[in-house]
Amino acid sequence: MRTIGLVFTLVLGSTLTGALSAQDVRAQLDRRVSPEVQRAVQVIAADAAAQGLPVDPLVQKAIEGAAKGVPGDRVIAAVRVLAGRLGQSMAAVREAGVAAPGGDVVEGGADALNAGLTGRQVSDLVRVSRPPHDPALTLRVAATLAALGVPSKQTLALLQGLISDGRSPSDLLGLPGQVQAGVARGATPAQAAAGLARAAGGAPPGRLPDWVPPGQRKPRNPHKP
Amino acid sequence: MGVLLGLEGEATDAEVVRAVLAGDVERYAVLVRRYRDRYARYASRMLGSRDVAEDAVQDALVRAFDRLADCREPDKFAGWLFLILRNRCFAEKRRRQRQERPLDSTDEMFAAPDRPDGEYEQVERAHALERALQHLTPEQREVFVLKHTEGLAYEEIAGITGATVASLKMRMHRAYDRLRDLMRAHL
Amino acid sequence: MTTTYHPLVKRLLDGELSLAELPPELRAEGEEALRLVAAVDRTPVTLSPALEQRVMAAVRRRAASPGNRAWRWLNTPRDVELRLRVRPWTVWAGALAAAAVLALLLGRHAPAPEPGFGTQARSAARDSVFVRFVLYAPGARRVAVAGTFNQWDRGAALLVPAGTSGVWTTTLALPVGQHQYAFVVDGARWVVDPAAPAVDDGFGRRNSVVAVTVQGAHL
Repeated sequence: MRTIGLVFTLVLGSTLTGALSAQDVRAQLDRRVSPEVQRAVQVIAADAAAQGLPVDPLVQKAIEGAAKGVPGDRVIAAVRVLAGRLGQSMAAVREAGVAAPGGDVVEGGADALNAGLTGRQVSDLVRVSRPPHDPALTLRVAATLAALGVPSKQTLALLQGLISDGRSPSDLLGLPGQVQAGVARGATPAQAAAGLARAAGGAPPGRLPDWVPPGQRKPRNPHKP
Repeated sequence: MGVLLGLEGEATDAEVVRAVLAGDVERYAVLVRRYRDRYARYASRMLGSRDVAEDAVQDALVRAFDRLADCREPDKFAGWLFLILRNRCFAEKRRRQRQERPLDSTDEMFAAPDRPDGEYEQVERAHALERALQHLTPEQREVFVLKHTEGLAYEEIAGITGATVASLKMRMHRAYDRLRDLMRAHL
Repeated sequence: MTTTYHPLVKRLLDGELSLAELPPELRAEGEEALRLVAAVDRTPVTLSPALEQRVMAAVRRRAASPGNRAWRWLNTPRDVELRLRVRPWTVWAGALAAAAVLALLLGRHAPAPEPGFGTQARSAARDSVFVRFVLYAPGARRVAVAGTFNQWDRGAALLVPAGTSGVWTTTLALPVGQHQYAFVVDGARWVVDPAAPAVDDGFGRRNSVVAVTVQGAHL
């Protein structure tokens, strides 16, 4: 049980970015989660709100756990982990020079961290996402690509490359589907992403060309008994 | 254009285990496919090598099949498999430690790059941390990996390892200090 | 030998404190410590595709030697209830090739909807998009979709059978944004959408992900 109460983080200049009030949190959790979970999540949410972190994802995670029949202590643990990730994301987004990040960017960063990207990679993605690119969208696409199995370094390189090539946000949004299409044709996610990066170089704006996987890889050494 | 197409191909673990135990051996492939990569990151970090991790995961999956009749709670197959893999990782680590040569020079291994370029520095730091992890005790490395790589809470790690939260924190805090020492050129 | 981290900094690393809660004189040490854990590489590790074959080859070898006492259980008749409701995963190659995991609002540039399982994503209200969910689940008695858009309520969005083919479907108006979801079969079995990316749900299972966006408005 965390013992941190409401700490006013004036040093960080936290802004309650459309965060749910304490009453909202209680109302949302009421009758959806056990009293024990409700109490614990309220504390975690209050702490998060004081740091300027979005609170809704924490509430949603608790409701999700209850709906899935997950034991209360595991739900609390998961909400705590998520709060930690939101905090890490906030730090990473601030590191990129965004003084008062909106909730969706922080959530996007948390998704990206959850999918395996590092804080530094989150910062890098935010940095390159100048208008017309929305860092929240870039981060969501990065998280989706990583969730599909594209290694995070490649995810980063692919997105940075497309953005600097002047591709539109729609092009970024189409990437996960194209990686999936490559995987359906037999490529690994890494290969599919590499193919898209290669194919995109020099291609005119608009839909990225689909990429066809190469032949079978060489088989590994047979299993030693 | 977007299509959301869900296909039901996902029996529960318990259903697959029961089917395999009833003789449908080929169904075991469902569990192999489902869990082959799930603990790969943990095994890689514990053993310091993706190749060694792959051998460990493979062995664990085969061993889990061998002992499938002992899996008393088929719906907890995932956790049961993880414990088999965990034991395998610790055994592998003990075996390798007996064979390992002592390090020549810690400084050489963790030397910082001379060009403080932002990205290169960050990549180097990640590599340095990975190497440094191999210099922790297996217990320290495991608690660090489970918490910071896999994102588990102390309570969950306690459930897996059987240690108390207090002793896990003690291990972890020693690990932090050791890592700080090993990584001093990179921080 | 460097000094050890201050106990408060260690609690920072444990996630029990935030950087702002450290006394000012420990901030620099705290930031250094955070750099250390930020260096953790959490890239998912993918093992070789051949691993599956190697494991199954070993499994088959064992199954083929019935005399071996270790695998006697394979040949002992067991009173086991086999619920063979689940069919082998049939991949509809055409649909998968066209599958994107992101549904876009199609405004003036909307192509004609494809027959069968083409996209049905059309404008519902200014800030939401109609998205069609489809699940092939022959033998299911009840199918629902639950997610962040309906507070994970297992009863809020039931799918209906589309004919007798075993396909279930529903169309929902989803607000713009990122959503996680899963199908719930027969009220208790949570099934991810195999055609969509899946993320760790924090409880040891996975959720499917869909991002809904209004093209041209929020970008």
